[in-house]
Formats: sequence, C-alpha cells, structure tokens
Amino acid sequence: MDATSSRPLLDADFLRKLERLAIAAKRVQLGLAKGERRSKRKGSSVEFADYRDYVQGDDLRFVDWNIYARLDALYLKLFKEQEDLTVHLLIDASRSMGFGTPSKIEFACKLAAAIGYIALIGYDRVCVEGFSGTDVQRMRPCRGRASVAKMFSFIESIEEEGGTNLEHACRSYMLRNRAKGTAVIISDFFDQDGFEGCLRRLTMSGSDVYAIHVLAPEEIDPQLAGDLKLLDSETSGFVEISASRALLKRYKDNRDGFCEAIRRFSVARGIGHFVVSSDTSIEELTLDMLRKGGMLR
Amino acid sequence: MSALQAIGDALGRSFLSPALFAFLGLIPIVILLYLLKLRRTEMLISSTILWMKSLQDLTANAPFQRLRKNLLLLLQIIILLLVVTALARPFTRAEGLSGNNICLLIDRSASMRVREGDTTRLEMAKENALEMVDDMRGGDKMMIVTFAESSDVLCELTSDRYRLREAINSIRPSDTATKIRDAILVVRSLQAPRGEGETVVADLRVVVLSDGRISDLEEVGARILNVSFAQVGESTNNAGIAAFSVREPLEGRGDQQSFVLVHNEQTEPLETTLTLTFNDTVLMVEELNVPPGEDREVVVAHPELGSGLLRAELDHEDDLAVDNAAWLALRPTASVKVLLVAESDSTGAYFLKRAFALDSRVELSAIDPADYVETDEYDLTIFDSSAPGELPAGSLVFINSIPPLPGIKSEGAIEAPPVLAWDSEHAVLRFLNPANIGIREAQRLALPDGSRTLISTTGGPLMADVSRGGQQILVIGFDIAESNWPLRLSFPLFIQNLLAWVPRGSFATETSVATGRPLTIMPVQDVESATVTLPDGSAESVQLDPLRPVFFGATETAGPYVVTQGDTSEQYAVNLLDRNESAITPAEVLTIGRAEVKAERGRVKQNRELWRFLVIAALVVLMVEWSVYSRRAWI
Repeated sequence: MDATSSRPLLDADFLRKLERLAIAAKRVQLGLAKGERRSKRKGSSVEFADYRDYVQGDDLRFVDWNIYARLDALYLKLFKEQEDLTVHLLIDASRSMGFGTPSKIEFACKLAAAIGYIALIGYDRVCVEGFSGTDVQRMRPCRGRASVAKMFSFIESIEEEGGTNLEHACRSYMLRNRAKGTAVIISDFFDQDGFEGCLRRLTMSGSDVYAIHVLAPEEIDPQLAGDLKLLDSETSGFVEISASRALLKRYKDNRDGFCEAIRRFSVARGIGHFVVSSDTSIEELTLDMLRKGGMLR
Repeated sequence: MSALQAIGDALGRSFLSPALFAFLGLIPIVILLYLLKLRRTEMLISSTILWMKSLQDLTANAPFQRLRKNLLLLLQIIILLLVVTALARPFTRAEGLSGNNICLLIDRSASMRVREGDTTRLEMAKENALEMVDDMRGGDKMMIVTFAESSDVLCELTSDRYRLREAINSIRPSDTATKIRDAILVVRSLQAPRGEGETVVADLRVVVLSDGRISDLEEVGARILNVSFAQVGESTNNAGIAAFSVREPLEGRGDQQSFVLVHNEQTEPLETTLTLTFNDTVLMVEELNVPPGEDREVVVAHPELGSGLLRAELDHEDDLAVDNAAWLALRPTASVKVLLVAESDSTGAYFLKRAFALDSRVELSAIDPADYVETDEYDLTIFDSSAPGELPAGSLVFINSIPPLPGIKSEGAIEAPPVLAWDSEHAVLRFLNPANIGIREAQRLALPDGSRTLISTTGGPLMADVSRGGQQILVIGFDIAESNWPLRLSFPLFIQNLLAWVPRGSFATETSVATGRPLTIMPVQDVESATVTLPDGSAESVQLDPLRPVFFGATETAGPYVVTQGDTSEQYAVNLLDRNESAITPAEVLTIGRAEVKAERGRVKQNRELWRFLVIAALVVLMVEWSVYSRRAWI
C-alpha cells in the first residue's frame, strides 16, 4: 500500500502514549527468554515459589539453611521465573483487505504496529506475519525496543495480495511458532470457508486469542444504487444485484448476523472479539477499546 | 423421425397451425437480448460473501424465487409462449354447430347401405343430420346435398327446419359408387370469394356425413374450408364381387371365359360358394376361401353362351348385400356395317380392308368413288381420298379429303409433318401411340369452331374430330398410303377404337353398366315408347326418339333391367362392381384438396379456437411485465 510507505505508521506522540500500556496476559505461560512476565517455570526472580528436596548437584546457594537448621534436612528454595511473553500478530493481507477508506490493511497494519510496539516496549517477544491464501510475509521474531524500527518497516512492507484461507494460514503459522502467548488476528474474516477453523486453530495453541474484525465503512453501510454486477476481489465470483431498499436492509441484517456469529463463536471459546470500522482512530481503539476489552492494561 | 412425427401428430390434434411452433426458436433470442440488454455496472468489492448470503436469504423464501432474479425475462418468455401458441391456433372441440351456415354433404352410396346393428349407415347419417337440424339456432341456415354417383342439392340454404327435415327424410339409398367431386364443386362455388374478405355465403361450414369410402377424392383439386367429417359406421363385415366380365373367345375359337373377382373385407377368412347361373341354368358352383382383406380371382371357361343373363352370386351373409350378386347381359354381337369409298386398287384401300377384316363384327363393303351414291345403310362410311357432295347418315371418316362442311378447308400442304401431340383421351386414340408415324405429305387443315384436334403437327392438325349434331365425323389430313402408319401397331388399334367409337359398335360390346350410369336404348323402328322393368319389378315408360339413342338414367339399383320395345325385349345388367364400395371399412381421414379432415364420431364437433384468450393473456402478462419493469423493485 503506497499510503503506508509514504507516511509514518504511527506518530511519535501516539507512541509515547502507548508506552504506558502493556499486553495483558490472562494466563501464565512459559516464555522463551528472561523477561518481565511471570512464568510457569521456576527461576531466579525475587518472588518465592516453592520448596523441593535437594538433590546432588543443586546449587548450594539456594539451600534454605534455616530449614536445615530446624529439620536437619536439605531443601532447596524455588523462585518464580520471569520470562517474556510471545505476542503473535497475524495480519490478514488478502486482497479484500485493500478495500475501504481508509483501507482495512492500512488500519490493520497500524493496529498491529501499535500492539507490537506495546509488546516490544514491555520486553515481550513479537512475531508479526501478514498472510493471504497463497502467500505469507513474515519477519523473524524480535524483542526489545531496538527491534521497533525493524518491526515497523516490516509492517509497512506488508501488501495485500491473493485470496483468503484463514484456517490454512493459522495452521501453518502455529506449526512454525509454537510459543504460547497472546495471539492477535486482524482480519475481515471474509473467507469462503468460514472463520471458525481459523479461530479454533488459534485457541488450540493455548495462547490468549484476540480476534479483531475490521470492516470498511463501505462494507458496514454500502451506498449502492442501480443494476450492479459486484465482482469479488479475491475469487472470480460475482453477484448481480439491483440495489433496492429491501436488498440493502437484507445485506445489513446479514452483516450484523456475520459479526454476531463471530462474536458468539469467540465468546464461547474465550476469544476476545472486537469489531471495528477501518475509519476508527487507532488511538481510540488502543487507548480505550482494547483496554476495556482486557487486551491491554 | 418417428418421434418427431408423433409429436407433430399430437400437436395437429390440438392446433390448426402447429408448424408455427417453430417460432419457439425465438426464446433463445429473447434470452440473448435480455443478457445483452441488462448491462450491469461492474463494481469491484472486497468480498461477495455477504451479498451472496443476502440473495440466498431472499431466494430461500420460496422455491421459485430463484427465477425472480430474471422475472422480466421469465415474463417475456411467457409472453412469447402465449403468442406463439396463439399463432399455432389451438382449438377445442365443442359439441354442436352454431352461428353458421352449414352445408351437409350426405353420402348415399352403396356402402352407406351397410347394416350397422339394427340400422344402416345411411339411417345413422340421417339421424345425425336431423340432430344437427335440431341443434340449429335462430339465424342458422343449412343446406342438404347428397352425393353418390352424382350429387343432388336436396335443399337450398334455408333456416326452415321443416323443409330440412323433409329433405333429410327423403334421402333414399342407392347402389352406386361414391363420387364427391360435384358436391365439392357446389360447396366451392358457395365459398368462392366475393369482394374483399367476403365469400358468396359467409362462414359456410361443411359437414360430410359419410363412411369415407369415396372413390374420387384424388380428383378433387379444390380446397374447401371449414370441413368436418362425421364418420358413420363401424362394420367391416362384407365380402362381395368386385369385378365380373365375360371374355369373348379369341378369333371366334375356343371357350368363352367368365371372370369373377371376389373381395373379402372381413377380418376373418371368407368361406362362401360362388354360383354362376345363365338364364336360370347353373353353370358352376365353386367353394371359395378368401383370406381376410384379400381378393380372389375366379376364371370359369364355358362354351359360348349366346344371348341371355349371366349371374354370379356369393352365398353368404354379410352387412352389405348389394355386392353379393352381379349380372351380365349377353347378347349376340351386333355387326357393324362399314362402307369403304376408295379406288379399288389403291394402297390405302388395301390396308383398310386388311385392318377391318380382323374384326368379325364388321360387314365391309367397298365401292369406287365414282359409283358412290348417298345411302343411309351404313354405320360407318370411310372416304379415302374422295368426298361426297352431301354428307350421308352414320359415322364418317374422311381420309386425305375434305368433308363438305362449312369452315373446314385445306390450305396447302405440309412436307413431312412430324407428330407432335395427340389427344389420348379421345376414344379413337385410346391405348395407342402415334408418335412413330412417318408421313410424306399432309394437308394443312383449317377447322371450324367446336372441332377437336386429335393429332397435331407443326402446321396444324393431322387428325380432327369435327362431329356435329350427333353425327360422328373424323378427318384425317394425310393419305395413309403415303405414310408408314399401316405398318405400325397403332393402325389396327385405331381401327378397333374406330369401331368401338361408332354408336353401333359400342352398343354391341356393352354388357354391364355401373349403377347410376345411364342405359343406352337404341330405338327399334316404329316404336314410340319403351318400358323399362327395374330389378324390383316396377316398370317405367321411356319416350323414344327414332333418330338417336335414348338414355335411361334411373339405374341406381343394381340388378337385371329389361327394356321392352313393342314385341322385342332386351336385357341389361346394372352392377355396382366397385371394389372401393365393397371395402366397407370406414375411412378415418378424408383428404379433400390436399387438406386432411379427421373423422369424428357421434355428434359433429366444432373447432373452437382459443387464440383470442391467449392473446388477451399475453397482453395481461405484458402489462405485468411493464409494471415490474417500472418498479424495478425486483432483484
């Protein structure tokens, strides 16, 4: 998308606001590296976790000498480990995302950049991927403030192309990135095969899943008139319609039903679900909606 | 092909012009036009998923909703279907006839005498006709025409039911063959166009009440309109004599032979006895076994019988009695008196004498032109290269000479005239082909009005019939001695035809007359009236003309007729002898002037055309289409 490359993804003022936020992890997960999050692993933080019997070879520094004095037995003190959180950002980069003013892909990229920025600031590990039915645009997972520029430039480079196959994209992503953490999928969920498979895959990975459903204003309230042949941007399919009030009402009912179906599916599986129009401001979304939705804190 | 034909037949039963269904080929064109017409603005959108769902929701409401997408197209196709169906002129059959001028053609031929249960076909037809008279409404008119050997208009177009009933009740059966041509011509003249879009009689409907056994349908060229064929009869139970003749022994030697052809129309084999009786003497009795639907020829040789009545009779019961017997009146062969006026040593006279000598009936006299005196003795006088001052009586042939008649003369000569055309329908040219005659020189004949050219060449006629006032006169414009004609086969045939053409000649060979055809009565001298005794015993008196034969036409009943003139009486045989009448199976289709008319049973039904309703329906659908188009509320 030309627009995204010609101007900065997020302005500095907004980034500063984002620094106050962090990704809220609902569950304690195993991390991959030392970080600022509690881990299931026992480790070397200051927070006491448990005792265990001493076995030969254990570091004597962690022996609880007070217990030894009282009970004449060697116990080891265990501390909670603090590790990082892996934030998976999946951006639907199919051709349908290129529609809307502003385009959905632009919106999705900005949102992903914002969430990724929050994660990097919080020393979390970020995996960003733009996927379409045929192609995957991916970046090596990165950590730390130093990776911000790299991530931004990658996100800016994501271009929409090809059709949509959400389930396939999720499956292959999960195979490549097994780390549990927080998975955010930003998509319009316009997939001929349905959205269910993709969300199910993501929940199966054990991560906290957030589905951000982006719709363009034109999709929410289409302004159509006359006899039209609507061509699908991704498939060769088309629909011939004569726009009438009845049909538009029917379309809106359908749109609501579609969003409602995704919401219900998500709620039933503990997936955080947001429906946003691509003309929503990212600030409002991140600073307000996502916080209220429990994704950010 | 047969499937197509079956479809065609099925359509033909309900449509008058099923061929116009070809216009259904326009449907793809309408669809094409529709596709071309509705050029939708193309618009790229992210995904059609939601739109598709919307359409599915709409179409899920009713099973036919899918079609709504193309409601306009559907309506157009319906309009087209309605219009094409209207063009094909569908009709229903409604009982009774109404609002018309009706002409009833009632068959009273021999086959209508067939017994059908307790009644006969003719009675059934009459009953049907009377019902139609009852069906008439005020203002309807009807006329009654009967047909058999000849046609009669029994009642002119009238609305007087009393007269119509009288006319129908007066119809009597006959024993004759069926010829509808005259009746059709009557109808044709009434249906002839008069002025613009009008006919002599407006909307004349024709109903043929018959069993469909009509022999001259092929000869009816005129097409008549609004015909129904009310078929009567079902029986096929008949066998009869279809042909009966006696062959003379060849050159007077050997036996006479009688030939009988028996036709079996029944569906089962016929077992019967054929009895041949001559003047009450049984000549032969033969057991016959004729397979169903077939003919059997019986040839009986017997000594020469002399004069008398020969009768062939089948002894079995069937539904048509008239063809179970046939008669032949045999009488001694009468001689023909021929006078040849020619130079006795001329070549032409030699050939003519030889040709006449072949026929035993000929009493030939020859005379030199110089010695010729006008006489009335001879039946046939031949003038070879000579002409009398005044015409004698009897039939005359002028060879290479001009008869003393006004209007006929020779205008010079033609060298080697080729034979270009000849009138093979004339009695003297029957069965012969004069094309190979080579002539050295012929006279260029100028003929009076009313003469008939028999053989023509480049310069005019070679032979002509210039008969006048009942006298038969033939002119041959060339000398037969100066041609190769006497050496051709056509010459003796011509002489035979000539002898048959002479009234005496044809009289002698006539042994059986078809029913309905007149008997030729040759007056005996000094008798003013003759009595004809009919087969049923009744007698009719006939006034005679001493100069010419008299025809007796009341011969509708088959059987032996006796004509008594003074002291002499002669027997005549009148026979049906018509295979078409003996085959009594009713026909299912009448082909009148190339138009096929299907048989109807029971009361005659009328085609009630439905195209008006279809056109109205098409208009209604058109209006619906317009309103739909205007609203454009449909998807």
